[in-house]
Amino acid sequence: MNSRSGRTRGAGTPGRTVVTGMGIVAPNGIGAEAFWKATESGDSVLARVTRQGCEHLPLRVAGEVRDFDPGTLVEERFLVQTDRFSHYALAAADMALEDARLGRADYEDDPYSVGVVTAAGSGGGEFGQRELQRLWGQGPRYVGPYQSIAWFYAASTGQVSIRRGFKGPCGVVCGDEAGGLDAFAHAARAIRQGSRAMLAGATEAPLAPYSVVCQLGYEGLSTAEDPERAYRPFTDKACGFVPAEGGAMFVVEDEAAAGRRGATVRAVLAGHAATFTGPGRWEESAEGLAHAIRGALREADCAPEEIDVVFADAFGSPEADAAEARAISEALGSHGSKVPVTAPKTGTGRAYCAAATLDVAAAVLALEHGVVPPTPNVFEVCHDLDVVTGDARACGPRTALVLSRGQMGSNSALVIRKGSDSPA
Amino acid sequence: MSERLTMEELAALMKTAGITVDPTELASRPDSQFDDYGLDSLGLLGIVGELENRRGRALPSNADRCKSPGEFLDLVNSSLMTGA
Repeated sequence: MNSRSGRTRGAGTPGRTVVTGMGIVAPNGIGAEAFWKATESGDSVLARVTRQGCEHLPLRVAGEVRDFDPGTLVEERFLVQTDRFSHYALAAADMALEDARLGRADYEDDPYSVGVVTAAGSGGGEFGQRELQRLWGQGPRYVGPYQSIAWFYAASTGQVSIRRGFKGPCGVVCGDEAGGLDAFAHAARAIRQGSRAMLAGATEAPLAPYSVVCQLGYEGLSTAEDPERAYRPFTDKACGFVPAEGGAMFVVEDEAAAGRRGATVRAVLAGHAATFTGPGRWEESAEGLAHAIRGALREADCAPEEIDVVFADAFGSPEADAAEARAISEALGSHGSKVPVTAPKTGTGRAYCAAATLDVAAAVLALEHGVVPPTPNVFEVCHDLDVVTGDARACGPRTALVLSRGQMGSNSALVIRKGSDSPA
Repeated sequence: MSERLTMEELAALMKTAGITVDPTELASRPDSQFDDYGLDSLGLLGIVGELENRRGRALPSNADRCKSPGEFLDLVNSSLMTGA
Protein backbone atom coordinates (compact mmCIF):
# COMPACT_ATOMS: atom_id res chain seq x y z
CA MET A 1 0.00 0.00 0.00
CA ASN A 2 2.91 2.29 0.69
CA SER A 3 3.86 2.19 -2.95
CA ARG A 4 0.55 3.63 -4.04
CA SER A 5 1.76 7.18 -4.28
CA GLY A 6 4.79 5.90 -6.15
CA ARG A 7 2.57 4.00 -8.54
CA THR A 8 0.39 6.94 -9.42
CA ARG A 9 2.45 10.05 -8.97
CA GLY A 10 6.10 9.27 -8.63
CA ALA A 11 7.14 10.15 -5.11
CA GLY A 12 3.73 11.50 -4.28
CA THR A 13 2.31 14.92 -4.92
CA PRO A 14 3.38 17.49 -2.37
CA GLY A 15 0.35 19.38 -1.23
CA ARG A 16 -2.11 16.53 -1.60
CA THR A 17 -3.57 15.95 1.82
CA VAL A 18 -4.55 12.44 2.70
CA VAL A 19 -6.32 10.57 5.51
CA THR A 20 -4.16 7.79 6.95
CA GLY A 21 -6.08 6.99 10.12
CA MET A 22 -9.57 7.20 11.59
CA GLY A 23 -10.92 6.84 15.10
CA ILE A 24 -14.66 6.74 15.64
CA VAL A 25 -16.87 6.97 18.71
CA ALA A 26 -20.42 6.93 17.40
CA PRO A 27 -23.85 6.10 18.78
CA ASN A 28 -23.96 3.11 16.42
CA GLY A 29 -20.48 1.82 17.10
CA ILE A 30 -17.06 2.44 18.59
CA GLY A 31 -14.26 1.87 16.12
CA ALA A 32 -14.43 1.95 12.32
CA GLU A 33 -15.46 -1.67 11.95
CA ALA A 34 -18.51 -1.52 14.23
CA PHE A 35 -19.47 1.89 12.88
CA TRP A 36 -19.35 0.76 9.26
CA LYS A 37 -21.25 -2.46 9.93
CA ALA A 38 -24.13 -0.53 11.49
CA THR A 39 -23.94 2.28 8.94
CA GLU A 40 -23.94 -0.02 5.92
CA SER A 41 -26.84 -2.02 7.37
CA GLY A 42 -28.83 1.14 7.94
CA ASP A 43 -29.41 0.32 11.60
CA SER A 44 -31.06 3.12 13.52
CA VAL A 45 -29.94 3.51 17.11
CA LEU A 46 -32.07 6.55 17.87
CA ALA A 47 -33.85 5.92 21.15
CA ARG A 48 -35.41 7.58 24.15
CA VAL A 49 -33.03 9.79 26.08
CA THR A 50 -31.72 7.97 29.14
CA ARG A 51 -28.95 10.30 30.31
CA GLN A 52 -29.32 11.17 33.98
CA GLY A 53 -31.06 14.47 34.60
CA CYS A 54 -32.48 14.64 31.08
CA GLU A 55 -35.43 12.30 31.46
CA HIS A 56 -37.96 14.99 32.35
CA LEU A 57 -36.92 17.42 29.58
CA PRO A 58 -39.02 17.82 26.44
CA LEU A 59 -36.28 16.29 24.25
CA ARG A 60 -37.43 12.68 23.93
CA VAL A 61 -35.17 11.06 21.35
CA ALA A 62 -31.40 11.26 20.85
CA GLY A 63 -28.41 9.32 19.62
CA GLU A 64 -26.52 8.38 22.77
CA VAL A 65 -23.11 6.71 22.77
CA ARG A 66 -23.45 3.57 24.84
CA ASP A 67 -20.93 0.99 26.00
CA PHE A 68 -18.17 3.58 26.08
CA ASP A 69 -15.95 3.04 29.10
CA PRO A 70 -13.39 5.84 29.19
CA GLY A 71 -11.62 4.27 32.18
CA THR A 72 -10.37 1.44 30.00
CA LEU A 73 -9.14 3.78 27.28
CA VAL A 74 -7.74 6.94 28.88
CA GLU A 75 -5.62 7.53 31.99
CA GLU A 76 -7.51 8.65 35.09
CA ARG A 77 -5.63 11.92 35.41
CA PHE A 78 -6.83 12.98 31.95
CA LEU A 79 -10.38 11.86 32.70
CA VAL A 80 -10.73 13.92 35.88
CA GLN A 81 -9.56 17.02 34.01
CA THR A 82 -11.99 16.68 31.12
CA ASP A 83 -15.60 16.49 30.03
CA ARG A 84 -17.18 13.60 28.19
CA PHE A 85 -16.65 15.37 24.83
CA SER A 86 -12.91 15.30 25.43
CA HIS A 87 -13.05 11.68 26.56
CA TYR A 88 -14.48 10.86 23.13
CA ALA A 89 -11.76 12.93 21.45
CA LEU A 90 -8.93 11.33 23.43
CA ALA A 91 -10.20 7.83 22.68
CA ALA A 92 -10.86 8.61 19.00
CA ALA A 93 -7.42 10.18 18.62
CA ASP A 94 -5.82 7.02 20.01
CA MET A 95 -7.71 4.90 17.51
CA ALA A 96 -6.79 7.21 14.64
CA LEU A 97 -3.09 7.19 15.54
CA GLU A 98 -3.10 3.45 15.87
CA ASP A 99 -4.89 3.08 12.55
CA ALA A 100 -2.31 5.37 10.92
CA ARG A 101 0.51 3.62 12.77
CA LEU A 102 1.77 7.02 13.77
CA GLY A 103 3.67 6.59 17.01
CA ARG A 104 6.00 8.66 19.15
CA ALA A 105 8.99 7.27 17.29
CA ASP A 106 7.66 8.97 14.15
CA TYR A 107 7.70 12.47 15.61
CA GLU A 108 9.79 12.56 18.78
CA ASP A 109 12.67 14.01 16.78
CA ASP A 110 10.39 16.87 15.75
CA PRO A 111 7.29 17.21 17.94
CA TYR A 112 6.60 20.58 16.30
CA SER A 113 5.74 18.79 13.07
CA VAL A 114 2.45 17.37 14.38
CA GLY A 115 -0.53 19.47 15.43
CA VAL A 116 -4.18 19.10 16.41
CA VAL A 117 -7.31 20.86 15.18
CA THR A 118 -10.81 20.10 16.36
CA ALA A 119 -14.16 21.74 15.89
CA ALA A 120 -16.57 22.20 18.77
CA GLY A 121 -19.99 23.67 19.20
CA SER A 122 -21.26 22.35 22.50
CA GLY A 123 -18.21 22.21 24.77
CA GLY A 124 -18.02 20.47 28.12
CA GLY A 125 -21.55 21.08 29.30
CA GLU A 126 -21.76 18.20 31.76
CA PHE A 127 -18.48 19.12 33.49
CA GLY A 128 -19.37 22.81 33.49
CA GLN A 129 -22.79 22.20 34.97
CA ARG A 130 -21.35 20.13 37.82
CA GLU A 131 -18.88 22.87 38.74
CA LEU A 132 -21.47 25.64 38.42
CA GLN A 133 -23.76 23.69 40.73
CA ARG A 134 -20.92 23.62 43.26
CA LEU A 135 -20.47 27.35 42.78
CA TRP A 136 -24.04 28.25 43.74
CA GLY A 137 -24.56 25.27 46.03
CA GLN A 138 -21.39 25.46 48.15
CA GLY A 139 -19.50 28.54 47.03
CA PRO A 140 -16.55 29.50 44.83
CA ARG A 141 -14.05 27.63 47.02
CA TYR A 142 -15.64 24.37 45.92
CA VAL A 143 -15.15 24.89 42.19
CA GLY A 144 -12.31 22.69 40.94
CA PRO A 145 -9.40 24.19 39.00
CA TYR A 146 -10.12 22.15 35.86
CA GLN A 147 -13.27 24.16 35.33
CA SER A 148 -10.82 26.70 33.92
CA ILE A 149 -10.19 24.44 30.93
CA ALA A 150 -12.60 21.49 30.74
CA TRP A 151 -15.76 23.13 29.46
CA PHE A 152 -14.13 25.29 26.79
CA TYR A 153 -14.27 24.42 23.11
CA ALA A 154 -10.48 24.16 22.98
CA ALA A 155 -10.24 21.51 25.71
CA SER A 156 -10.09 18.50 23.41
CA THR A 157 -7.40 19.94 21.16
CA GLY A 158 -5.34 20.90 24.20
CA GLN A 159 -5.62 17.57 25.97
CA VAL A 160 -4.91 15.50 22.86
CA SER A 161 -1.81 17.55 22.14
CA ILE A 162 -0.58 17.43 25.75
CA ARG A 163 -1.18 13.71 26.14
CA ARG A 164 0.58 12.84 22.91
CA GLY A 165 3.30 15.48 23.01
CA PHE A 166 2.22 17.23 19.80
CA LYS A 167 3.70 20.71 19.70
CA GLY A 168 2.78 21.69 16.15
CA PRO A 169 -0.02 24.06 15.10
CA CYS A 170 -3.01 23.57 17.37
CA GLY A 171 -6.40 25.16 17.04
CA VAL A 172 -10.11 24.83 17.48
CA VAL A 173 -12.68 25.78 14.88
CA CYS A 174 -15.71 27.45 16.40
CA GLY A 175 -17.51 27.68 13.10
CA ASP A 176 -20.95 26.41 13.82
CA GLU A 177 -21.84 22.84 12.91
CA ALA A 178 -20.09 23.15 9.55
CA GLY A 179 -16.87 23.68 11.50
CA GLY A 180 -16.62 19.89 11.50
CA LEU A 181 -15.68 20.09 7.82
CA ASP A 182 -13.69 23.29 8.17
CA ALA A 183 -11.38 21.50 10.64
CA PHE A 184 -10.13 19.40 7.72
CA ALA A 185 -9.38 22.53 5.73
CA HIS A 186 -7.43 23.95 8.66
CA ALA A 187 -5.48 20.71 8.92
CA ALA A 188 -4.76 20.77 5.19
CA ARG A 189 -3.52 24.34 5.47
CA ALA A 190 -1.21 23.42 8.35
CA ILE A 191 0.18 20.61 6.21
CA ARG A 192 0.74 22.96 3.26
CA GLN A 193 2.60 25.23 5.66
CA GLY A 194 4.96 22.43 6.58
CA SER A 195 3.42 20.25 9.26
CA ARG A 196 4.06 16.56 8.78
CA ALA A 197 0.77 15.34 10.23
CA MET A 198 -2.34 16.73 11.90
CA LEU A 199 -4.95 15.18 14.15
CA ALA A 200 -8.24 16.62 12.90
CA GLY A 201 -11.87 16.07 13.71
CA ALA A 202 -14.58 16.81 16.22
CA THR A 203 -16.43 15.20 19.08
CA GLU A 204 -19.45 16.49 20.98
CA ALA A 205 -21.31 15.51 24.14
CA PRO A 206 -24.43 17.70 24.22
CA LEU A 207 -26.61 15.16 26.02
CA ALA A 208 -26.43 16.54 29.54
CA PRO A 209 -29.15 18.56 31.30
CA TYR A 210 -27.64 22.04 30.90
CA SER A 211 -26.69 21.38 27.29
CA VAL A 212 -30.08 19.95 26.44
CA VAL A 213 -31.85 22.95 27.94
CA CYS A 214 -29.67 25.18 25.74
CA GLN A 215 -30.82 23.25 22.69
CA LEU A 216 -34.53 23.45 23.52
CA GLY A 217 -34.57 26.90 21.97
CA TYR A 218 -33.46 25.57 18.58
CA GLU A 219 -36.30 25.77 16.12
CA GLY A 220 -35.00 22.73 14.29
CA LEU A 221 -34.80 20.44 17.32
CA SER A 222 -37.13 17.48 17.01
CA THR A 223 -39.08 16.79 20.18
CA ALA A 224 -41.01 13.90 18.62
CA GLU A 225 -41.60 10.86 20.82
CA ASP A 226 -41.14 8.03 18.37
CA PRO A 227 -37.51 7.22 17.50
CA GLU A 228 -38.52 5.99 14.05
CA ARG A 229 -40.34 9.20 13.22
CA ALA A 230 -38.30 11.83 15.00
CA TYR A 231 -35.71 12.55 12.27
CA ARG A 232 -36.90 12.12 8.69
CA PRO A 233 -35.25 14.75 6.47
CA PHE A 234 -36.25 15.10 2.80
CA THR A 235 -39.73 13.71 3.50
CA ASP A 236 -43.02 15.54 3.99
CA LYS A 237 -42.90 14.24 7.57
CA ALA A 238 -39.70 16.18 8.34
CA CYS A 239 -40.02 17.59 11.86
CA GLY A 240 -36.49 18.65 12.74
CA PHE A 241 -33.32 16.87 13.74
CA VAL A 242 -32.44 14.54 16.59
CA PRO A 243 -29.27 15.51 18.49
CA ALA A 244 -26.46 13.07 19.12
CA GLU A 245 -23.05 12.74 20.71
CA GLY A 246 -19.73 11.18 19.77
CA GLY A 247 -17.55 11.99 16.80
CA ALA A 248 -14.39 11.09 14.96
CA MET A 249 -10.72 12.02 14.78
CA PHE A 250 -8.46 11.58 11.77
CA VAL A 251 -4.78 11.51 11.04
CA VAL A 252 -4.24 13.81 8.08
CA GLU A 253 -0.87 13.93 6.33
CA ASP A 254 0.92 15.22 3.32
CA GLU A 255 0.77 12.41 0.80
CA ALA A 256 4.50 12.32 0.19
CA ALA A 257 5.26 12.30 3.93
CA ALA A 258 2.77 9.49 4.44
CA GLY A 259 4.41 7.57 1.61
CA ARG A 260 7.87 8.01 3.10
CA ARG A 261 6.86 6.36 6.35
CA GLY A 262 4.92 3.63 4.58
CA ALA A 263 1.48 4.69 5.71
CA THR A 264 -1.68 3.49 4.02
CA VAL A 265 -3.65 6.25 2.30
CA ARG A 266 -7.31 5.75 3.16
CA ALA A 267 -8.65 8.78 1.27
CA VAL A 268 -7.61 12.06 -0.31
CA LEU A 269 -9.01 15.34 0.98
CA ALA A 270 -9.35 16.92 -2.43
CA GLY A 271 -11.21 20.20 -1.98
CA HIS A 272 -13.07 22.34 0.52
CA ALA A 273 -14.93 25.62 0.60
CA ALA A 274 -17.15 27.42 3.10
CA THR A 275 -19.63 30.29 3.02
CA PHE A 276 -21.77 32.15 5.54
CA THR A 277 -25.36 33.20 4.94
CA GLY A 278 -26.68 34.17 8.36
CA PRO A 279 -28.48 32.45 11.25
CA GLY A 280 -31.58 30.49 10.35
CA ARG A 281 -31.76 31.92 6.81
CA TRP A 282 -32.29 28.60 5.10
CA GLU A 283 -33.59 30.22 1.93
CA GLU A 284 -30.26 31.99 1.52
CA SER A 285 -28.28 28.92 2.56
CA ALA A 286 -29.23 27.38 -0.80
CA GLU A 287 -27.05 29.80 -2.74
CA GLY A 288 -24.41 29.78 0.00
CA LEU A 289 -24.14 26.01 0.03
CA ALA A 290 -24.13 25.86 -3.78
CA HIS A 291 -21.28 28.37 -3.76
CA ALA A 292 -19.37 26.24 -1.24
CA ILE A 293 -19.89 23.13 -3.38
CA ARG A 294 -18.59 24.92 -6.47
CA GLY A 295 -15.57 26.10 -4.52
CA ALA A 296 -14.79 22.64 -3.21
CA LEU A 297 -15.13 21.14 -6.70
CA ARG A 298 -12.83 23.80 -8.11
CA GLU A 299 -10.15 23.14 -5.51
CA ALA A 300 -10.48 19.42 -6.14
CA ASP A 301 -10.32 19.97 -9.91
CA CYS A 302 -13.46 17.87 -10.00
CA ALA A 303 -16.34 18.05 -12.50
CA PRO A 304 -19.87 17.79 -11.06
CA GLU A 305 -20.37 14.49 -12.91
CA GLU A 306 -17.41 12.97 -11.05
CA ILE A 307 -19.28 13.13 -7.75
CA ASP A 308 -20.49 9.59 -7.09
CA VAL A 309 -22.22 10.16 -3.77
CA VAL A 310 -23.36 13.11 -1.68
CA PHE A 311 -23.41 12.88 2.10
CA ALA A 312 -26.12 15.40 2.81
CA ASP A 313 -26.36 17.79 5.71
CA ALA A 314 -29.99 16.65 6.13
CA PHE A 315 -31.05 19.21 8.67
CA GLY A 316 -34.57 17.84 8.78
CA SER A 317 -36.81 20.89 8.54
CA PRO A 318 -38.81 21.34 5.32
CA GLU A 319 -37.26 24.71 4.55
CA ALA A 320 -33.68 23.60 5.23
CA ASP A 321 -34.11 20.38 3.26
CA ALA A 322 -35.55 22.27 0.28
CA ALA A 323 -32.59 24.64 0.39
CA GLU A 324 -30.12 21.78 0.42
CA ALA A 325 -31.85 20.05 -2.48
CA ARG A 326 -31.74 23.34 -4.39
CA ALA A 327 -28.04 23.80 -3.60
CA ILE A 328 -27.20 20.32 -4.89
CA SER A 329 -29.21 20.97 -8.04
CA GLU A 330 -27.66 24.40 -8.63
CA ALA A 331 -24.09 23.26 -8.06
CA LEU A 332 -24.20 19.88 -9.78
CA GLY A 333 -26.66 20.75 -12.56
CA SER A 334 -28.54 17.84 -14.10
CA HIS A 335 -26.24 15.45 -12.22
CA GLY A 336 -27.81 16.71 -8.99
CA SER A 337 -30.98 14.68 -9.42
CA LYS A 338 -29.08 11.54 -10.50
CA VAL A 339 -26.25 11.29 -7.99
CA PRO A 340 -26.95 9.03 -4.98
CA VAL A 341 -27.56 11.14 -1.88
CA THR A 342 -27.35 9.66 1.58
CA ALA A 343 -27.65 10.80 5.19
CA PRO A 344 -26.59 7.98 7.53
CA LYS A 345 -27.00 10.43 10.42
CA THR A 346 -30.75 9.76 10.38
CA GLY A 347 -29.85 6.54 12.17
CA THR A 348 -27.49 8.05 14.72
CA GLY A 349 -28.63 11.64 15.16
CA ARG A 350 -26.94 14.90 14.44
CA ALA A 351 -23.93 15.42 16.65
CA TYR A 352 -23.50 19.11 15.82
CA CYS A 353 -19.87 19.70 14.71
CA ALA A 354 -19.15 16.02 15.03
CA ALA A 355 -21.96 15.08 12.62
CA ALA A 356 -19.86 16.15 9.65
CA THR A 357 -16.81 14.24 10.90
CA LEU A 358 -18.89 11.07 11.21
CA ASP A 359 -20.07 11.73 7.66
CA VAL A 360 -16.45 12.04 6.53
CA ALA A 361 -15.72 8.72 8.26
CA ALA A 362 -18.72 7.13 6.55
CA ALA A 363 -17.62 8.61 3.22
CA VAL A 364 -14.08 7.22 3.54
CA LEU A 365 -15.49 3.80 4.39
CA ALA A 366 -18.05 4.01 1.56
CA LEU A 367 -15.25 4.73 -0.94
CA GLU A 368 -13.15 1.89 0.43
CA HIS A 369 -16.01 -0.60 0.30
CA GLY A 370 -17.56 0.69 -2.92
CA VAL A 371 -20.93 0.95 -1.21
CA VAL A 372 -23.22 3.87 -0.43
CA PRO A 373 -24.86 3.36 2.97
CA PRO A 374 -28.58 4.09 3.31
CA THR A 375 -30.59 6.75 5.11
CA PRO A 376 -32.42 5.02 7.98
CA ASN A 377 -36.03 5.89 8.78
CA VAL A 378 -36.42 7.82 5.50
CA PHE A 379 -38.71 6.34 2.87
CA GLU A 380 -40.82 8.69 0.76
CA VAL A 381 -38.56 11.50 -0.45
CA CYS A 382 -40.35 14.66 -1.49
CA HIS A 383 -37.46 16.39 -3.29
CA ASP A 384 -35.85 15.84 -6.68
CA LEU A 385 -32.98 13.86 -5.19
CA ASP A 386 -31.98 10.21 -5.45
CA VAL A 387 -31.85 9.56 -1.73
CA VAL A 388 -30.53 6.09 -0.91
CA THR A 389 -33.17 4.53 1.31
CA GLY A 390 -33.68 0.99 2.56
CA ASP A 391 -30.59 -0.97 1.57
CA ALA A 392 -27.04 0.13 0.87
CA ARG A 393 -26.20 0.59 -2.79
CA ALA A 394 -23.09 -1.09 -4.20
CA CYS A 395 -22.35 1.41 -6.94
CA GLY A 396 -18.59 1.66 -6.52
CA PRO A 397 -18.23 5.32 -5.59
CA ARG A 398 -14.77 6.87 -6.08
CA THR A 399 -15.47 10.48 -5.19
CA ALA A 400 -17.71 11.76 -2.39
CA LEU A 401 -19.09 15.19 -1.59
CA VAL A 402 -19.80 15.84 2.11
CA LEU A 403 -22.06 18.76 3.02
CA SER A 404 -22.62 20.50 6.31
CA ARG A 405 -24.55 23.55 7.45
CA GLY A 406 -24.95 25.18 10.80
CA GLN A 407 -27.99 26.76 12.35
CA MET A 408 -25.98 29.94 12.70
CA GLY A 409 -25.46 30.21 8.94
CA SER A 410 -22.27 28.39 7.99
CA ASN A 411 -22.24 26.23 4.85
CA SER A 412 -19.34 23.93 3.98
CA ALA A 413 -18.49 21.33 1.38
CA LEU A 414 -15.66 18.80 1.24
CA VAL A 415 -14.68 16.62 -1.73
CA ILE A 416 -13.04 13.30 -0.81
CA ARG A 417 -11.40 10.96 -3.31
CA LYS A 418 -10.84 7.27 -2.90
CA GLY A 419 -7.39 6.55 -1.55
CA SER A 420 -6.77 3.01 -2.69
CA ASP A 421 -8.12 0.44 -5.07
CA SER A 422 -9.13 -2.06 -2.44
CA PRO A 423 -10.53 -1.94 1.09
CA ALA A 424 -7.84 -1.41 3.68
CA MET B 1 -5.36 23.76 66.17
CA SER B 2 -5.69 21.82 62.93
CA GLU B 3 -4.98 18.25 62.11
CA ARG B 4 -1.61 17.69 60.43
CA LEU B 5 -1.48 16.63 56.81
CA THR B 6 -0.14 13.09 56.42
CA MET B 7 1.21 11.26 53.42
CA GLU B 8 -1.91 9.06 53.60
CA GLU B 9 -4.19 12.07 53.24
CA LEU B 10 -2.01 13.55 50.49
CA ALA B 11 -2.17 10.29 48.57
CA ALA B 12 -5.97 10.32 48.90
CA LEU B 13 -6.06 13.93 47.69
CA MET B 14 -3.85 13.05 44.72
CA LYS B 15 -6.33 10.31 43.87
CA THR B 16 -8.99 12.99 43.35
CA ALA B 17 -6.67 14.48 40.76
CA GLY B 18 -6.55 11.13 39.03
CA ILE B 19 -3.14 10.14 40.37
CA THR B 20 -2.93 6.78 42.11
CA VAL B 21 0.09 6.58 44.39
CA ASP B 22 0.98 4.43 47.40
CA PRO B 23 1.35 6.59 50.57
CA THR B 24 4.34 4.52 51.69
CA GLU B 25 6.05 5.38 48.40
CA LEU B 26 5.31 9.06 48.96
CA ALA B 27 6.74 8.79 52.49
CA SER B 28 9.85 6.90 51.41
CA ARG B 29 10.62 9.37 48.60
CA PRO B 30 9.42 12.74 49.91
CA ASP B 31 11.69 14.64 47.50
CA SER B 32 10.39 12.99 44.34
CA GLN B 33 8.70 15.53 42.10
CA PHE B 34 4.94 15.94 41.71
CA ASP B 35 5.68 16.12 37.97
CA ASP B 36 7.04 12.59 38.07
CA TYR B 37 3.73 11.34 39.43
CA GLY B 38 1.91 13.17 36.65
CA LEU B 39 0.42 15.80 38.95
CA ASP B 40 0.38 19.16 37.17
CA SER B 41 0.06 22.65 38.65
CA LEU B 42 -3.72 22.75 38.29
CA GLY B 43 -3.92 19.39 40.05
CA LEU B 44 -1.94 20.73 42.99
CA LEU B 45 -4.07 23.86 43.02
CA GLY B 46 -7.15 21.66 43.35
CA ILE B 47 -5.54 19.77 46.24
CA VAL B 48 -4.74 23.04 48.02
CA GLY B 49 -8.36 24.16 47.58
CA GLU B 50 -9.72 20.90 48.93
CA LEU B 51 -7.36 21.03 51.92
CA GLU B 52 -8.38 24.61 52.69
CA ASN B 53 -12.02 23.53 52.67
CA ARG B 54 -11.30 20.54 54.91
CA ARG B 55 -9.29 22.55 57.44
CA GLY B 56 -11.48 25.62 57.20
CA ARG B 57 -8.54 27.96 56.79
CA ALA B 58 -6.31 29.45 54.11
CA LEU B 59 -2.94 27.95 53.27
CA PRO B 60 0.09 30.03 52.25
CA SER B 61 -0.28 31.49 48.79
CA ASN B 62 2.79 29.64 47.54
CA ALA B 63 1.43 26.21 48.57
CA ASP B 64 0.42 25.34 45.03
CA ARG B 65 3.95 25.99 43.79
CA CYS B 66 5.57 23.23 45.84
CA LYS B 67 7.49 20.76 43.72
CA SER B 68 7.53 17.67 45.95
CA PRO B 69 5.34 15.91 48.54
CA GLY B 70 7.95 16.57 51.26
CA GLU B 71 8.11 20.29 50.52
CA PHE B 72 4.31 20.46 50.43
CA LEU B 73 3.87 18.65 53.76
CA ASP B 74 6.47 20.85 55.46
CA LEU B 75 4.88 24.04 54.22
CA VAL B 76 1.30 23.01 54.96
CA ASN B 77 2.03 21.59 58.41
CA SER B 78 4.16 24.48 59.57
CA SER B 79 1.34 26.78 58.49
CA LEU B 80 -1.30 24.68 60.22
CA MET B 81 0.74 24.41 63.42
CA THR B 82 1.63 28.08 63.70
CA GLY B 83 -1.82 29.16 62.66
CA ALA B 84 -0.28 31.56 60.17
